[in-house]
Amino acid sequence: MQTYDAVVVGAGAAGGIVAAVLAEAGWRVLLLERGPALTFEDVGRDHLRNQRISLYGHNAGPDSEGNPRVLVDPDGREILVRPHEGGYHNNAACVGGGTRVYLAQAWRFMEQDFRMASLYGVPEGSSLADWPITYADLEPYYERAEWEIGVCGDAEANPYQAPRRRPYPMPPLPPGRLYTRMLRALDTLGWHGFPVPFAINSVPYQGRPACVRCTHCVGFACPVDAKNGTHNTMIPRALATGLCTLVSRAVAERVDVNGRGDVIGVTYLVEEGSTIRREVARARVVVVSCGAIESARLLLNSACDRHPRGPGNAHDQVGRHLQGHYYPCACGILDEEIYDGLGPNAATATCRFNHGNPGITGGGMLADEVATLPILLWKSLLPPDLPRWGMVSKRWMRENYRRFVRVMGPVQEIPSPEARVTVDPRVRDRYGLPVARLSGTTHPETVRVAHFLLERAQEWLRAAGAVRIWSVPPRLGLSGGQHQAGTCRMGHDPRTSVTDPYGRVHAHDNLYVVDASLHVTNGGFNPVLTVMALAFRCAERIARDHRGGG
Amino acid sequence: MTEVHWQTLRAVMDRVVPPDDFPGAWDAGVGEYLRRQLARDLKHLALLYDLGLEAIDAEARARHGSAFAALTAAEQDAILRDVESGRVVAFWPVEPGRFFRMLVEHVQEGFYADPGNGGNRDGVAWRMIGYGTGPQDEATHADV
Ligand SMILES: Cc1cc2nc3c(=O)[nH]c(=O)nc-3n(C[C@H](O)[C@H](O)[C@H](O)COP(=O)(O)OP(=O)(O)OC[C@H]3O[C@@H](n4cnc5c(N)ncnc54)[C@H](O)[C@@H]3O)c2cc1C
Ligand code: SF4
Repeated sequence: MQTYDAVVVGAGAAGGIVAAVLAEAGWRVLLLERGPALTFEDVGRDHLRNQRISLYGHNAGPDSEGNPRVLVDPDGREILVRPHEGGYHNNAACVGGGTRVYLAQAWRFMEQDFRMASLYGVPEGSSLADWPITYADLEPYYERAEWEIGVCGDAEANPYQAPRRRPYPMPPLPPGRLYTRMLRALDTLGWHGFPVPFAINSVPYQGRPACVRCTHCVGFACPVDAKNGTHNTMIPRALATGLCTLVSRAVAERVDVNGRGDVIGVTYLVEEGSTIRREVARARVVVVSCGAIESARLLLNSACDRHPRGPGNAHDQVGRHLQGHYYPCACGILDEEIYDGLGPNAATATCRFNHGNPGITGGGMLADEVATLPILLWKSLLPPDLPRWGMVSKRWMRENYRRFVRVMGPVQEIPSPEARVTVDPRVRDRYGLPVARLSGTTHPETVRVAHFLLERAQEWLRAAGAVRIWSVPPRLGLSGGQHQAGTCRMGHDPRTSVTDPYGRVHAHDNLYVVDASLHVTNGGFNPVLTVMALAFRCAERIARDHRGGG
Repeated sequence: MTEVHWQTLRAVMDRVVPPDDFPGAWDAGVGEYLRRQLARDLKHLALLYDLGLEAIDAEARARHGSAFAALTAAEQDAILRDVESGRVVAFWPVEPGRFFRMLVEHVQEGFYADPGNGGNRDGVAWRMIGYGTGPQDEATHADV
């Protein structure tokens, strides 16, 4: 049996940060990751099998075989889904988690996002709530994330942003043709456009080079290592201390407790070739950071005599309020060729509609997309009336690909307690562990907000000179996916939350959840910078509260 | 798949993405894409392909007395339009519209996805639409 000061389960956005902060504070840390460490070549550039379009597989895990989930659709039908299939709500499984292949949009939430219930009231049937912390509580940690992970952006240009003490460490990427055009449209509308902030090096930073503007950013790995995730920032820092042991292909089976019900460590399974070995690690502190769906699953799968519903789940809160982002998207053809092929795959944004929309609960940010994968355009974004074969369809792609642009935005979701993760009573994965079972839908108010944002997206395209605009109207369904959050939300009241404001699981001294599961609401923004800021904040508190013996 | 079926498939895919001053599906390598996929992710559809292609050929013989591959482009298009909307005269052991729409999806995948999948030979579809023509992609597409 091995002993550590902390076991951190999941080497993604949050887990990588917590491991580094604790190791740098002198703790001996075991960092477990169910997926492998992936090289650029491992991730590859397969346009049919990647984390952006996963028709036949994907490139950042989990393996398509042996890792199913059960999806319960709105009619109550149970569907067994594989990781790359729709309805699985996958993010990734590898060292770095989602940050290995993400687009790296690095947004701070706004002040209002932390008090949605107070600002808007609670729509009937929703579990909308305020965060137990404010933007000001998190601000210093947003700053740490921006500087220690490395974010580029213009700290002046967004009039809707919350106050910040320091600018970004790097200037925005130089504007391309599409950016200039889309920005002008926002100016015409009075919507205050600005460059999307990215966890990408616009100039050399922390010993790695600047972005070379390739078109394979979202869903792929960076050819020059200019995209900053935890795999190339915090995890190497953790390992450099000599105090952190990273074990990949290691799946936490359960959180272990003693006879009194106190958390004492983790049992995990290591896959080597065709054999699976069971290991036991003991630690003063256990940190769960498996991503929102898998963190809930791990707690639920850790049910025992002392915690019959799973640790932290005395009030049946673990796994509820699952949310992600509705992503209304408007497609358009501009009156001239605008394609510039300059990655990363977004450029221009507006926060005009995150809040202050009459009659609407919240809202969301809007951004454009650059260099859409041709097969993605063909598969899911063509005008609905376009013939799908023959000369007309070939000509259309030829004449319009370089004039195509789409605008989309993450809707701040109105959570429902019925959108939830449980564990399936029958289906098990290749390790013999009960799989996640996903059920419920978002609250209908989310769909209304999505319709509102879709109309604004269309307006932006019109102002940009679109001669033709089309879109698919949003419908009620379950959200989660790459932006999954909310399944172990933080709060003061154990009856409506799972952890305290520092990620400490209620009624436990040494069990923490630190990832996107904590989000009470998910902002109208891509969530990762908030995940990272929270992880820094929780880690700092863990190091302080459990000092000694480290 | 038999030689006859390949000839039918080749003729069908060249109507799905017909040649103009840029190659059609076959010359762009979509046959190779399908060959690989029918041995890989679409293995379970091999029989369906056999039956569907045979039925397309039967449709041609019933209407014109000759193989689909031997017809003019206009005759082929007319048959495929009918197949797409289910107006068939021959015996179809598979649902014609569904089979054809599936085939269209696969052909377009081969045409527009990366050359590593066997189709889109030398990136010809991307050159045609103007995707990824910046110098930064020339430098980084290589060898992956
Ligand atoms: C293609 C793509 C694009 C994205 N683009 C953006 C973007 O531009 N901006 C943005 O804000 N967000 C983006 N995201 C989302 C972002 O990656 C997530 O919000 C973020 O990674 C969530 O962090 P996390 O720590 O909660 O979970 P993760 O990063 O998913 O980390 C969880 C880790 O835990 C591991 N794990 C799970 N269960 C176990 C177990 N039992 N034992 C051991 N390990 C386990 C998983 O394998 C995973 O590596 C994108 C994601 C993807 C996939
Ligand atoms: S766009 Fe830049 S940061 Fe993104 S993968 Fe390409 S080179 Fe790397």
